[in-house]
Amino acid sequence: MIRYAWITSRRELLWFPAALAGLFVVIAWMLPHPHVRFTIARGYLGFFVPLLAGISAAYAVLDDPALELRFSTRVRHVSTLLTRLGILLGVQAACALVFQLAAAAMGIDLSPLGGLAAIQRAWLVPTMGLAATGLFGSLASAQCATGAFVASAVWLVQILMKGWILANGPRTYLFMGVLEPGRADLRASQLALSLASVALLAGSWWLLRRQERYL
Amino acid sequence: MIEIAGLSKAFGRATALRDVNLDIGPGMFGLLGPNGAGKTTLMRILAGIVHPTVGSIRIAGNDLGTEAGKRATKAILGYLPQELGMYPELTAAQLVDYMAILKGLHDRVQRRKRVREVLEMVALHDVADRRIKSFSGGMKRRVGIAQALVNDPRLLIVDEPTAGLDPEERIRFRNLLVSLAGDRTVILSTHIVEDIGQTCRDLAVLGRGRVLFRGSPAELAGIAQGHVWTVTRPRLDEPQPGTTIVSMLHLADAVQYRLVGSWADPDPSAAPTPPSLEDGYVRLMQSRT
Repeated sequence: MIRYAWITSRRELLWFPAALAGLFVVIAWMLPHPHVRFTIARGYLGFFVPLLAGISAAYAVLDDPALELRFSTRVRHVSTLLTRLGILLGVQAACALVFQLAAAAMGIDLSPLGGLAAIQRAWLVPTMGLAATGLFGSLASAQCATGAFVASAVWLVQILMKGWILANGPRTYLFMGVLEPGRADLRASQLALSLASVALLAGSWWLLRRQERYL
Repeated sequence: MIEIAGLSKAFGRATALRDVNLDIGPGMFGLLGPNGAGKTTLMRILAGIVHPTVGSIRIAGNDLGTEAGKRATKAILGYLPQELGMYPELTAAQLVDYMAILKGLHDRVQRRKRVREVLEMVALHDVADRRIKSFSGGMKRRVGIAQALVNDPRLLIVDEPTAGLDPEERIRFRNLLVSLAGDRTVILSTHIVEDIGQTCRDLAVLGRGRVLFRGSPAELAGIAQGHVWTVTRPRLDEPQPGTTIVSMLHLADAVQYRLVGSWADPDPSAAPTPPSLEDGYVRLMQSRT
């Protein structure tokens, strides 16, 4: 099943993340200053991996030409959801990890973000959050493009209103791991965001069960 | 095999099906009706994809209103939707194999054997390793049938399967469906009267979400008995208002019309004509409008 889920996924969902990671590696390699290199690496991991995951997730389930055939089988909705989402998150994770290896090879120091686990949480938590947002948005509206728009809007608002969100609801700030890695409430924020992602995934599963909306 | 009682389906304010009651046994069953009659909605409900608003459906003893009944029904179901979406980059064998996995055939050896069998049944075994994007419309439809058959279903639902096919492909496809019927229940939904006439002994006609007729093709044709005429008139001379022209044949200096309808005082030149299935269908629709 995983093999077919892989080969029936849209090709751009697979090659575009790899191409973007490659682009950031090239940019970081071309810039000599260590601080700028770190900023580029942090920008890729903390902002662009989550954004791409959010947009991709909006298309992951509904953008399937054989959706009606799939609905006529006994495959459980949770299986559909996890398989499709798992593939794109797997691609994003692979790109993020390969990028970190490339960054290490270029001498980019990511330690300002914390230890190895903290670095992974810094990109993984917002990636899960925006992926769940994009997926939920597409299923709630029965439109892939709407889901992608919602994920992108959340991403933009989080960047533009950083100060206000950190002052009024710091636990909802997606990019705390990369922008404020030293904050005392970082772990609490990441836990809250992870729970919110799980809630959105559960909501997506509930929505997908109303399958006639998507035909 | 299938018992449908008091079935209605509404999408918001639009009602697609109204109080549908049908019992369907083994063999070919035709579901006929104009576009928008509710055929696809009924097919999707029977396939467990769309939920009815009210009413009950039992398929092979399984209550489609329960999750367990729906899953049990899907285990014995083969479904070919009207808009057959496929993965163009897959080969025919890969697509059928993928659908077999989704239908729960997990034993790889058994599955591969079954994939070969169904591709042979639809005469696609020679092109099994060709990508679907290189197939004609008829070949894609046959891949659709192959995936529907891969779990050896007791119930096969095919929705408008011959739409867009050339005459040769249509005939081949109809013959294939008849050969598959046997002990299975095959529900053929279409707006093409000829497809039903050539394949089914039992049929229903849907119109505006209601069952307008239930019976055999001969009984449907019989509805137009005494209401079909052949009349030849000069060109541009319009035939009797209130009747429907079901065919026109241009002759040397006149046009031969085949008319269906109520004609209280027929023209002396009008010859009463034995009704066909299409005449019966047209007459049924006239009486309902």
